[in-house]
Amino acid sequence: MSEDNIAPREGGGDRDPILEGDATPHRQRRPFVLHEWIREKLAWLGHITRHQARFFLIMLGASWGVIYESFRSHSWRRTVCYEFGVTLNSVIGGGLIATLFAGTLTGVAAVSQTIYWLGLAGLAKMTGSILVNVVIREIAPILVGILLLGRNGMLSVTELGLLTTGGQIRSMQAQGLDPFLLLVMPRTLAFTVGGFTLGILFSFAALLTGYIISRISGVITNPVWTFFYDVVVAMSSTDYLVIPLKFITVGFVVGLGGCLTGLTATNEDNLRTLLPRGFSRGMLIVMAVSVLFSLDL
Amino acid sequence: METRTVGPLLELNKAVPSFDESGLPPVPFSMRLMPGECVVVEARDPENAIQFADMCSGLVPLDDGSVKFMGLDWAELHDREVNALRGRIGRITRRPSWPTFLGTHLAITLQQLHHTNRPMDDVVAEATRLSEQFGLPGLPVLRPALLSPADLVRAECVRAFMGRPRLLLLEDPLEASPVELENAFLSALTDARDKGAGVIWLVRNNAIWQGYRQGVTSMWRLADDGLVAVRTG
Repeated sequence: MSEDNIAPREGGGDRDPILEGDATPHRQRRPFVLHEWIREKLAWLGHITRHQARFFLIMLGASWGVIYESFRSHSWRRTVCYEFGVTLNSVIGGGLIATLFAGTLTGVAAVSQTIYWLGLAGLAKMTGSILVNVVIREIAPILVGILLLGRNGMLSVTELGLLTTGGQIRSMQAQGLDPFLLLVMPRTLAFTVGGFTLGILFSFAALLTGYIISRISGVITNPVWTFFYDVVVAMSSTDYLVIPLKFITVGFVVGLGGCLTGLTATNEDNLRTLLPRGFSRGMLIVMAVSVLFSLDL
Repeated sequence: METRTVGPLLELNKAVPSFDESGLPPVPFSMRLMPGECVVVEARDPENAIQFADMCSGLVPLDDGSVKFMGLDWAELHDREVNALRGRIGRITRRPSWPTFLGTHLAITLQQLHHTNRPMDDVVAEATRLSEQFGLPGLPVLRPALLSPADLVRAECVRAFMGRPRLLLLEDPLEASPVELENAFLSALTDARDKGAGVIWLVRNNAIWQGYRQGVTSMWRLADDGLVAVRTG
C-alpha cells in the first residue's frame, strides 16, 4: 500500500481511498515528462474556463428566454401563475422579517454612525447624498441579494437539483411540462419582484432606524419628514433609475442562477457539490451585478 | 400543428435510439399502434422499459428512423408542439415522478391544468372520481412522500387516466400492487381504449397480464436485437 493511502482522509472531502488505491500504481509507473505535465495543467485550466463560460452563456440565454416568455400570454397558464404566486409568497412573505431585521441592524450600524460622524465633522449637509450612495445604492442591493440567495435561492438550487438528479424533471418532460416554463420563468420573475420589494423595505427600515437612533441620541433634531426629504433631494435622476434597476436585477439573477444551477445538476452531483456551487455562484452573481452598476452609472 | 385522427396512433419506423442517451440497443425498432389497441411489451430490464417509453414519447434522440405520434414526427416538432403533444400521453412510470414541492392532488392534476382550459372543478371532480375508482378514499392531498407505496401506485393510475389520453404508456402498475387494484385498472384501461386511446403495457412478468389476455392486440419482447414479436395464441 502506498503512502497516499495511509495518509488520513481529508474531512468532508470526496476522496475515495479504494479508487485512489487503484489509481496510484498507474501514476507511479509513469515517468515525469514536463510537456505532458504542462498539457495536463492547460487541459485542466481549459476545462475550468469552458465550464465557467458555459454557465455564463446558459445564464445569458435563459435571461432572454425568461424575458421573452414572460411577455407571451400563452406562457401564463394556471400552473405557471400558481408557481409564481407560491414563490412570491415565499420570497416576500417569508423574507420580510429577516429583511426588516437586517435593515434595522444596518440602520443602527451604518446610518446612525454616518449621521453622527458627518455631524461631528461639520458635513451634515452631505448626509443625504452619502446615505443614498452608500446605504441605498451599494449596501442594500448586496445585503438583499445575500438574503434572497440564502433564504430562497439555495432552496431552489436544492429543490431543482434533487428533482433533476432524481429523475422527476425527466418525468415532468414526459408529461409535456416544460421545466423552464413551469419552474424557471415564474420563480425568476417572483425573485425579481421580491428583490425590488425587499430592497425598498430594507432601505426604508435602515433609514428610519438610523433616524430614530440619531434622534434619541440627540445627534439630529429635524423631524422625520425633513430627514427623508433631505435623502430624497440628494437623489439624482439617475438614482431613481439605477436603484430600482439594481434591486430588480439582483432578484432576477439570484432567482435565475439558483434555478439553473439546480437544473444543470448531473447524476454525479449531490448536496455536497450542489450547495457550495449554488452559494458561490450566487455570491459572484450578486457582487458582479453590484460592481457592474457602479462602474458606468 | 395538425394531428392525424385516422391511421396509426404511434409509429416506430426503423427507429434507432441513441445508445449514449438511452442505453437501449442501437438497432432498428419498428412497431405500429392503432387507436384502441393494446400492445404488451415484455421488458425484463426496468431501465430499458423506461427508456423505451421515453422513446415513444420523443424523449430519446434517434440515430436513424423516426417515431411518429398522431402522424407527427417527434424530431420535426418545435418544443411547444412537442410539449402539447406529450400532454396527450398518460404514463405510469417506474422512474421517480412525484415533485416533492407539490401536494399529491396538484401533482395528479398538473398535466390537465397545464395543457387544458378545463374548469378546475371539472378536473378535481374527475380526479376524485378516479381516485375512488382506484381504491383511494378521495383525492389525496398529502405530499407524495407521506403516502404508502400502494397508495402511490393508485395515485399514479389516477394521474395516467386523467383527461382523455390518446396514448397510455404503462410500466407495469400491477406488479407489487394491491390485488384489488387489478379490476379497477383493467376497467379504466378498457374505458380508455373504447374512447380511442392506444395502450403500450410494459411488463416484466408475463403472468401479470394473463387476466387481460383476450383484450391484448399483440405481444412483443424488448430484446437485445430490438422488438421481437411474440405469438400470443
